[in-house]
Formats: sequence, C-alpha cells, structure tokens
Amino acid sequence: MLTGTIVNYYTHCQRQCWLFSHNLNMEDNSEDVRIGKVLHELKKQGTEEIALEGIKLDKLTAEYVTEIKKSDADLAAAKAQLEFYLVTLYDKGIIRKGCLECLEKNKQSKSVHTLVMSEEDIEERKAYYRQIEDFLEQEQPPSPVFKPICKKCAYYDYCFI
Amino acid sequence: MSKSNETRYIFSSGELFQKDFSIVLRKDEKNIYLPIKDTRELYCFNDITLSTKMLQLLSKAGIIVHFFGYHGNYIGTFYPKEQLISGRLTVAQALAYKDKRMMIAGAIVKGIARNIYFVLYHYYRHGKNEFKDYLDWLRKDVPNLVDKTNDINQLLRVEGAIWAKFYQSFRTILPESFAMNKRVKRPPDNPINALISFGNSLLYTKVITEIYHTHLDQAISFLHEPAERRFSLSLDLSEVFKPVLVFKTIFDCVNNRKITVEKHFDKKLNYALLNESGRKVFIEAFEERLNQAFEHQTLKRRCSYKHAIRLDGYKLIKFIMEEKSFTPFSLEDKK
Repeated sequence: MLTGTIVNYYTHCQRQCWLFSHNLNMEDNSEDVRIGKVLHELKKQGTEEIALEGIKLDKLTAEYVTEIKKSDADLAAAKAQLEFYLVTLYDKGIIRKGCLECLEKNKQSKSVHTLVMSEEDIEERKAYYRQIEDFLEQEQPPSPVFKPICKKCAYYDYCFI
Repeated sequence: MSKSNETRYIFSSGELFQKDFSIVLRKDEKNIYLPIKDTRELYCFNDITLSTKMLQLLSKAGIIVHFFGYHGNYIGTFYPKEQLISGRLTVAQALAYKDKRMMIAGAIVKGIARNIYFVLYHYYRHGKNEFKDYLDWLRKDVPNLVDKTNDINQLLRVEGAIWAKFYQSFRTILPESFAMNKRVKRPPDNPINALISFGNSLLYTKVITEIYHTHLDQAISFLHEPAERRFSLSLDLSEVFKPVLVFKTIFDCVNNRKITVEKHFDKKLNYALLNESGRKVFIEAFEERLNQAFEHQTLKRRCSYKHAIRLDGYKLIKFIMEEKSFTPFSLEDKK
C-alpha cells in the first residue's frame, strides 16, 4: 500500500523510494531528517494528528488539508505527497483543498501554497499511483545517478559506496 | 556522518540511572550527567549497577552498552530492540550464505592480506628486508590461493597461514619484551597476546555498534560459522580492520613506549593482562585511530575509520541486494 512518504520519494528520487519502501531506510543518518521530525513534533502540539489507512495528516480543517515541511527544497515532491492525501480523502467522500506550509523558504518566494484538484487531475494521479506500485514490484532498485542534491542525502553513502 | 565522539567509557564503579531524561552516573556521591544526544555507545569496565528503567531509556534512545569484566575481558552487549529491519534483506542475506558464501568469505580473506601487506610494507621500506618473501606471498600468492579454494575449510587454512606469518613478523618489529611465540587466546599468556585479545574485543564491539545501524542481521555470517556466536557477522567484518585498527595501535603504543610491560600489565598475573592504566592508554590510542579521517576515494569526502566499518556493511548490503561486487576496506586504496 502506498503512503504519502513513498509518493513524495517517488517524485523526488526513484531509488530512494524503492529502498525506503523495502525498509532499507537510511534516515537514521540524517541530521536534516531529525530536525524535520522535531519541527513536526513542535508544530503538532495541541492538535491531533489524523491517521487514516496509509495517510497521516498534519492538520485537517473544514476547508483544508495542511502538510508542513521543513523547507521548500523539493516542492514538486511535497506537492505530490499532499495530492496523494487529497486523492485518498476524495475516495472517502471527503473533499478538501490542499495547503502546503514550508517553514524555511530557500527557493520559492512564498511559504504557503494552495492546491485545488479537478476530477481529471484525480484520475490522472491514480494512474500515476498504479505506476508507482508497479515500480515497487521490481526485484532491484534502479542504479544511482549522481546529481548535486545527492550530496546532502541520507542515502548518499549507501548509493555511492 | 559519524561524529567524532559518540562513545563514552566508564572506568569507575557506580550506578547508572535516569534523571530528567538524562543518563546519570553516580560515583562517590557525585552525579555525572551523560547527555543522550551525543551518546550512541557506552563501555562499562567496572562494576556498574543499573535498573530496567535505565535499560528502557537506553533502548528508546538506541544506545548500545558493552560490558567488560574486571580483567578487561568482554562480557556482552546490551543490544536495544532492533530498529532497522528489512525482511527483504534478511531473506537475501540468508540466501547469500547459501549461494555466495565463498565469494564473500574469499573477499574478506583477500582483504586481510591486502591490509597486512600495506601495514608491513611501511617497515619493509624502512629497511626490514626480511619481510620480502612474506610480502610477495601476500600480494601474489594469497589471491590465487583464495580463488582456487572451493570449500570454507581450505579458505580458513589460508587465513590461518596469513595470521601465523604475520605474528612471526612481530619479532622484527617489536622489542623483545613483547616477543611472541604463539597466539594464545583465552586467557592470554603474555603481554602481546593480552594486547591482541583486548584490541580484538574492542574492535568486535565497535563493529557490533556499526552493524546495529545498518539493516544487516548480526547472526548470518560468511567467513565464520553463523553458529559460532550470536554476532558472528561482526567477527567477519572486523577481520580486515584488525591490521588497520588493532595492530597499528599496538605497534604505535609499544614502539613509542606508551605501553610498557612493567607499567601497564598486571604483575601478579605474570604480565598476561593489561592493568587499568594500560587499558586506558590503549583505548585512547585506539579511539584516536578510529576517529582519524581520510579522504574516501569512492565517496570523495572525508571519512573516519570508524565510519569505514559502517561503509563495509553498506557494501555487503549492496552485494546482497544489488549484486554489486564486494571488496572490503583497503587501507592502501582508502576505500
């Protein structure tokens, strides 16, 4: 079953996605991930985190589903994750808009992004999710391809050793 | 990235307990706070009292504790409930034992020979010509011998020969007070054997900690029989690091007179055991070497020798999961 993190990783890096979903997670190594987790803990104080099958929502209101990220480093991946939540909720008859909050804005000028999805968008995403599920069936992860962003990744040592 | 110091050694006796989500060591009516944030590993070398509550905190924080007895003998490890498990890898690791055992075990034995070669080559270059035959044998013959073996016992005989010849070379390198007739393990019977035993068990515990932070199963090993000990994979991965970490530390401590027979061994036991100050000197030199950084040739970044142990774990995972060839750490190639 897909999760928000898996959809995020698939958009971000397919190799990381494969390794993570086969429980070869390396986040243990990353100070950035630890900071992200602490921020998450701090932000969610006083609010209930809502968990439905496969998805964990930072915040759910009458109008919005909110996802909180440490930074806007990979906005496309964060959006894909939020869209996955919207689609999953849609299937349960819960129709919401998405709201992405980035605590640090390094790349974008604004820190809050709003997402609205049409029915065509939703159908298109569902095809994308089936593609991810097929990809995860592969026996081996795709080989690593070096990009500058790899240098900061918690999987760097494993990928490039 | 591995930080330079996440290891704490406790040499005194005392009580470990939890206070305000910190680890506290109470000794002689005084409290010493050990921050959890910077602690990944504890070594206890004396009588330590601790409670289940303490173990709970250690487990939650993923802190590993190694216990040593009064004489510096290794007792065991508190291994927090495993955090990193990948069923897929565990199955693949077991299958690799069945199908690729000789490939992995052979790579380890070649790795031992390569690293001993590099350590001794230093002495050869400085005039110890008597090493020439052994060095040639290590470089040319051992890889061939390993490639020709087709069962594990043959391979273990090659490994045994490598170490036996290495121990013979000590006569040339070390002063007479540290001469070595033969390797004696439990208990060691003279100073050099005591140093080797202590160094090897320290390294063994370091490898346990590094493997803990990977998804590998500690019990499925390749060179050593999996049944030998519960953490036999640590024995496997420590082999190529013995020349690099244990023996280079011994040569440094002995030849630079940081450790002497008179001062650092227990006279009552015929100098066959390190005393407390001897252990402290050795550990300090060993830690320094572990945390020493070099430029890793594959990763193109600074890397400590301790981290190189973890990287060998990753190499093994990649061999098992992705069929990428497995070559253990080489001191010469820095990778």
